[in-house]
Amino acid sequence: MLDQRSSENPADNTTSPASPGLSAVGSRRRRVDPAGRVRGRVTHVGDVDPGSTSTAHVALHRSTRPHARIRSVEVDEALAIDGVQAVVTGADLYAALGEHVLTGPAFQDQPAMAYDRVRYVGEPVAAVIATDLATARAATESVHVDYEDLEAVYDVDDALTGRAFVHDELRPSAVFGDLRHLNGVRDTNVNYEFRLARGDTDAVETAATGVQRRFWCPPTHHVPMELPCTVAWVEGNRLEMLTTTQTPSYVRQTVADMLRLPLSDVQVRTRPLGGSFGSKMYDRLEPLAAAIAWVLRRKVRVVASREEAFLLTTRHGARVTSAMRADADGDLVAATADIIYDTGAYADVGPRITGKSGMVASGPYRIPNVSIRSRCVYSNKPSAGPFRGFGVPQVTWSHESLIDELARRTGEDPYAYRRRHLLREGDVAAMGTVMHSADFTGCLDAVAEAVDWANPPERGEGRWRRGQGIAVGVKAVLTPTVSNAVLQLNQDASASLLISTVEMGQGSDTIMAQIVAEVLRIDSHRVHVVPADTDVTPYDTITAGSRSTYHTGNAVRLVAEQMRERLLALAAEQSGVPAGELRLTEEGISGSGHPEPLRVEDVVLRHFRARGTTLTCASNFTTDWVPYDRNTGQSAKVTEHWFAGAVAVRAAVDTWTGRIRLEHLAVSGDVGKAINPFLVEQQLSGAAITGIGHALFDELVLDQGQFVNGTLLDYQLPSLGDMPDRLTPIIVESPHRTGPFGAKGVGETGILAVAPAIANALRDAVGVRLTELPLTAERVLNAIERKRAEESPQESRQQSPQESQEGNQ
Amino acid sequence: MSRISLVVDGNRYVAEITDSALLLDVLREQAGATGVREGCGVGACGACTVLVDGVSVSSCLALAERYDGARITTASGLPADDEVVESFVECGATQCGYCIPGFVMMAHELLTENPEPDKEDVVRHLDGNICRCGTYAEIRRAVLAAAEKRRAR
Repeated sequence: MLDQRSSENPADNTTSPASPGLSAVGSRRRRVDPAGRVRGRVTHVGDVDPGSTSTAHVALHRSTRPHARIRSVEVDEALAIDGVQAVVTGADLYAALGEHVLTGPAFQDQPAMAYDRVRYVGEPVAAVIATDLATARAATESVHVDYEDLEAVYDVDDALTGRAFVHDELRPSAVFGDLRHLNGVRDTNVNYEFRLARGDTDAVETAATGVQRRFWCPPTHHVPMELPCTVAWVEGNRLEMLTTTQTPSYVRQTVADMLRLPLSDVQVRTRPLGGSFGSKMYDRLEPLAAAIAWVLRRKVRVVASREEAFLLTTRHGARVTSAMRADADGDLVAATADIIYDTGAYADVGPRITGKSGMVASGPYRIPNVSIRSRCVYSNKPSAGPFRGFGVPQVTWSHESLIDELARRTGEDPYAYRRRHLLREGDVAAMGTVMHSADFTGCLDAVAEAVDWANPPERGEGRWRRGQGIAVGVKAVLTPTVSNAVLQLNQDASASLLISTVEMGQGSDTIMAQIVAEVLRIDSHRVHVVPADTDVTPYDTITAGSRSTYHTGNAVRLVAEQMRERLLALAAEQSGVPAGELRLTEEGISGSGHPEPLRVEDVVLRHFRARGTTLTCASNFTTDWVPYDRNTGQSAKVTEHWFAGAVAVRAAVDTWTGRIRLEHLAVSGDVGKAINPFLVEQQLSGAAITGIGHALFDELVLDQGQFVNGTLLDYQLPSLGDMPDRLTPIIVESPHRTGPFGAKGVGETGILAVAPAIANALRDAVGVRLTELPLTAERVLNAIERKRAEESPQESRQQSPQESQEGNQ
Repeated sequence: MSRISLVVDGNRYVAEITDSALLLDVLREQAGATGVREGCGVGACGACTVLVDGVSVSSCLALAERYDGARITTASGLPADDEVVESFVECGATQCGYCIPGFVMMAHELLTENPEPDKEDVVRHLDGNICRCGTYAEIRRAVLAAAEKRRAR
């Protein structure tokens, strides 16, 4: 069952109907077009004319080598096939566009298609353009590439100590000033290093109790159910596209740079996405589709098969070698972490992930001495990029396992021990920023109470053992960023909101309408949010990093407030009552001298003397930060706000099979203020379910740079049967002083602490500490058997051959 | 090339198809049934599920030529007062919604076979469908609610 906290009434378990009231801020109103979603009538990018005969279909010939120089590409055989219209190679694009074919958010390192060198198995080398997709896909087999193999970098050890380099030199993009010093650096696979130093970590030596481990999180994939799809064409001298992206403003800039066009000559449109979780952002299919459309002057459609979608991006595999120390009183005195993020062949935002996750690697705790080194390395594998949590789940895995073990070593309860050390309002975190609106203790208390932490389960003695585990997580919102909003109030008192936030299931269209409704006192169902279209909707940094509720939400609040002032001014003009004495309510505009309210419809009608007219306002909301010091990682304001979350788990472990069964999982998040509590609960639960996959089985397996399980027949994802017996999402509200109505985002909060909470429950149940994810039945069983052998060596038939392989990848 | 006829959500379509054409592509490209979606191409996610004479079929694995004359139901074609659709809406059993039509069709098949399913029956029957947004609790509740609604009507 899905619990709703403090709601005994079963009616609260469903969403509210459209009425009564405005369905504004705080309402559990249904998301936009629920019946359309249930019936499949919401149109996604790939649903727009899928079998179009006026569009050419693109399929890609992909590299079979992890690292090689391209000697030649033979295309004649493919060109001779019926229905094939053209074959474009990476070299063709390079000839037409030069170095501009290289794009990337942090480093300008990724070619639209490989032209001189391939850097991972599956990298596009040539594109076949044909009358239909089946023909194009079949013809890719007839493209032949002659390679000269190069030594490859397969893992983080190769990357750090080997002689092979994925790129000859580092090429930071123009976007981030703090990467400029890396320009031209040669003979390294380390494209970014973040260092944090606070206090004196030599104190580690004198500490009474310490725990040190090496942790490993494998690469994983987002697997949104919708496949990536881009349609691109040339209209006049403009490049136009319809594409599955979370970052339309970024894509417009990238395509404009690549084709050397003014921004006004690039149009990027989206439709609601069928999930994304970080996979459909920055440079995916778009540079390639734009370049091919531009060179051929043809309308082209590129859609990734599921197998190809696995190649487009991944979550960073990460190794964390870390320690936590406490003094004789059990007080935390020091934490260290050495983190390596494997970013694959192209940096994507790996350097950003490395810094922003590295800075929270010691957790949300009061620790006087902290030392962190976080590095991002290239390897010859598909590129890794953002994934719900932005690198933070990998470090949370480390600090929440360490502190749990430390609590046990000091003889304290893991919940109480965390509580004692958690950062409170006004505390300064390890990177030097003051905490505000980050209620870690509230989140921790809520999940502990939900699973009845004070009354732990009977451990049991037979096949099944039970335990409980708990963990917290902290993440910073992406800062600095920019959001804009344009609002058109229609004469009939409905509204059209123009923002570039992309609806992808998180419910942004719904909550933005609720914010407008709250300010303008209209029913939120009368507010339409226009899908992102860079010709129409204004710049917005990205729809990611849980930033939209706060940033775009603030822009939307501001634009609605402007509109309210505008209406009051018009009403003042028309009624003679000073605007300061007028008030906008659900009934209309009223003031002391006007008992009969003026209807908004009439005010606008009287102003323009025409029906169907629109009033327009625009707003901007921009946040800023203090870049962290390059040597110490210190910043007085590293982020605009914090996400705080906690997870508690009751689990049963089958000691015969190693299987973990989740009996109850509670997940809490401090969201400042829930604009729509139902959607917030879905974000918390949904993130937790993704986290359960990462904890128990979700893993991309590579062998010499080649995916072993890159299809959904082989790649396991959570399904209904993997649900905990009970799942309880809990909203914690510690209002943010500048959030819209106190609100912050929530998309990532629920995923942060899931894996360590489950591992801590496993530790509680059977006494084994695993440091490698996922917690597969095999790993659990091996650990249990190892422990048994250690405890009674004479009874075990043989010493367990499985030595610990912590973080060997 | 051959010619088949399909009845999709009550409307008759005649489609020109190649021998290797998949039912999924014919439905999407020739019958406009874009609520039937590809998620994996290997029958492992359920997003492309349709009912053929009441029985669930993964249309991404189905050769179209084998379905000449078939009556196919998709989520778009369910009646206005369909209990499953209503319950999914009322229980908030969608996030992005991409996968949901597949769950709706599986729920229909389940309720035809077993009008009074319990929680475990729902899990067993719908366990082959993937919702990556993680809407499982709401989906489970919606299917049970739909069964109740049907019994009450």
